[in-house]
Amino acid sequence: MAPPKKSFGRDTGLQARMLVTMFLLGLVYAVLIGVLFAAGVGGVLLIVIGGGLFLFQIFASDKIALRTMGAREVTAREQPLLHATIERLCLQADLPKPRIAVVDSTMPNAFAIGRSQKTATVCATTGILALLEPAELEGVMAHELTHVINRDVVIMTIASFFAAIASMIVQFGFFFGGGFGGGGSDDNDGDGMIVVVLVSAAVYAVSFVLMQALSRYREFAADRGAAVITGRPSALASALVRINGAMDRVPQRDLRAASGEMAAFYIIPPAAKRAVSSIFATHPPLEARLAALGRLETQLQAGR
Amino acid sequence: MSLRDALTGRHRVKGPAPDRLFALSTAHVALETEQEVTSKGIAGIVFQPLRTSDFESIVKDMEAVVKATATDLGATVETHDDSFGYRWMVISDREIEDLVVAVNGVSSALVAGGYGERVLCAVFAFCGPRDPKIYFIYNYKRGFWYPFVPRGPAADAQRSVERELQIKAQIAGELPIEPELERWFPLWGIPF
Repeated sequence: MAPPKKSFGRDTGLQARMLVTMFLLGLVYAVLIGVLFAAGVGGVLLIVIGGGLFLFQIFASDKIALRTMGAREVTAREQPLLHATIERLCLQADLPKPRIAVVDSTMPNAFAIGRSQKTATVCATTGILALLEPAELEGVMAHELTHVINRDVVIMTIASFFAAIASMIVQFGFFFGGGFGGGGSDDNDGDGMIVVVLVSAAVYAVSFVLMQALSRYREFAADRGAAVITGRPSALASALVRINGAMDRVPQRDLRAASGEMAAFYIIPPAAKRAVSSIFATHPPLEARLAALGRLETQLQAGR
Repeated sequence: MSLRDALTGRHRVKGPAPDRLFALSTAHVALETEQEVTSKGIAGIVFQPLRTSDFESIVKDMEAVVKATATDLGATVETHDDSFGYRWMVISDREIEDLVVAVNGVSSALVAGGYGERVLCAVFAFCGPRDPKIYFIYNYKRGFWYPFVPRGPAADAQRSVERELQIKAQIAGELPIEPELERWFPLWGIPF
């Protein structure tokens, strides 16, 4: 019996970078919570309100997102190929079948949402269905299913929760001056408020960069997962090249209008070509993804 | 999947689950006597063919072994590649025990070669008095069985979930049936 082959699809460096990023995020958020508690009642109240928003986001955001995207759930009779492709991937990846939706858009794209495997929805645009070969579509769908397996929606929502609170504080702080922070019972409210706003602004800035980094790492992980599930890294690479090429030619308006928050879950974000600098991008540059997939193909061909 | 695997986005594809494939060798008796559902003497096993020389040679060896065993049993073996890029080893033999043994031979050879995680499922064809096609599908990742009853022409993909649930109700004591209905994946374009 041959020894189990384990090296294929593993990347300890990537996992380490991901854990370090999450640790740093946690650290930054701990500072924020500390400052909020030090500031008194107002800060705690804000966490409670934020917590409510957070729960709402976890439990309702997928439906809202699907609606804003104009996604429509499709049956197996409407999209037999898409359904059959995803069903076989689910068998292979040991996943329950997700809901499958389609967006009417020429923009070639796909995304997955949902807080758990049971509530996940995988969505493709009509553009991507028309553009890709079956094997490429399989690669892209495996990428999206890996997002579901890795619970990327929940992880990114949690990661962005305190960043959202920090940004709320900054906004409220600017609008209302020292308006919150204990209802005027304290005499040093003003100073405390300035500190809270400054710390929040710093937290927001740092966590933003960290979150983008985390998002990029999770994209690499999803590419890797797709390669492991399908055993065809080059099919996904070919799909990425084709999508990227089509993006240049397709008008970029429709999806981007509503995309802001959704961008993190796309196979290739609509605005990827505009990303000023890679540290502000939710997705790694195409070249880096192709290189990573190329390394996987080499490992595979070498018999792992 | 562990919390750590989820946090680091590390995902591994499962190999075959504990083997409950052989449950069919005994369950088919109940199927035949109680429901008049009989084997059509044909079964297939589906796996992802990797495009690597390593994998090709393992598959070639495996095919040779399975064909040799099959000839001893009086069975025939064919290979199909379907439109989704998966490969089918289709085995014909009148005895269902022989089919189970041959199918198990294919998966064992792939596991021994280190590619157990590429095995998807095994499919056994049956028919009943009112159903021209009843398939019993064994999901290797889960180690569970489920029935699949397609209806109508292949192009118009439909299945009779009602009939599948009836079959489940009657056979559940004999065959370990997949408990989650959302994992009763249909397989369209079964080549037999």
